[in-house]
Amino acid sequence: MARDKQRFGVEDVPVASFSDLAFLLIIFFILTTTLVATRGFLSEFPSGERSEKQQKKATTVSLRDGKISFNGAETDLPGLTRELAALKLHDRTGDDKLVVLEAAGKVEYQDYFEVMAAITHAGGALCIIRETEGER
Amino acid sequence: MNRPRKGRRRAKIVIPVASFADVAFQLIIFFMLCSTFAQQAGIPIQPPTAPRLERIRESTKVVSLDAAGQVYVQGRRVADAAAAEGELAALLRNARTPEARVVIFRCDRSVGREVFEPVLDAIARAGGIIAAVGERKD
Repeated sequence: MARDKQRFGVEDVPVASFSDLAFLLIIFFILTTTLVATRGFLSEFPSGERSEKQQKKATTVSLRDGKISFNGAETDLPGLTRELAALKLHDRTGDDKLVVLEAAGKVEYQDYFEVMAAITHAGGALCIIRETEGER
Repeated sequence: MNRPRKGRRRAKIVIPVASFADVAFQLIIFFMLCSTFAQQAGIPIQPPTAPRLERIRESTKVVSLDAAGQVYVQGRRVADAAAAEGELAALLRNARTPEARVVIFRCDRSVGREVFEPVLDAIARAGGIIAAVGERKD
């Protein structure tokens, strides 16, 4: 073997830097990987116009200037959670699961997120109603 | 000064490093298969909090909204919600399964309704299932 190397001029491939290269790649992956578990909720919003049937039947949660209303009655977040739990939305199907979320005035995402999370956790299907320019 | 006595041999310690590269490549393969790239890296966002949040699977489609109201799709800044809708529609064109339609929505807690609502609407219109991300309130 050694004689063959001498005869044909075969040289070893330099592999000494392979491990350095590999560790650089590991560092790259460690830095770009998200190891923290993502928490939140999934929601598929039906987009489009609100139908007359939905307007009459659906449970409505309103957020206006940080104040929460459930079917027209003012409440707070624990109160909303209780009201939604009483509806047993997990056992319902189709349009009966629908909870309309209306926001108006000055509403921050923190308040909106808490309400959305409460509705989703209760088993409701979210439907958002946006206030347009003309409605203000 | 103590000199080694003549004729006494010193034991030569050799650390076997030949397998280091193999170990390193195994780790790389592990990270490649298990990681999702941080699409929102560099975008400063204070996530909202809620008491009960479930663990959700990471998705490759990410929409971010920072405190200044700037919209980002896949970590790239876009002009407004309408532009985000166009980008998302292109991304979701070949998405057939519900899992493929999941869009991670990261939004700063201080953003106002007039900014985040059009973005949520844009994701819904593009055919995405919104995965709103936050932190658990203890």
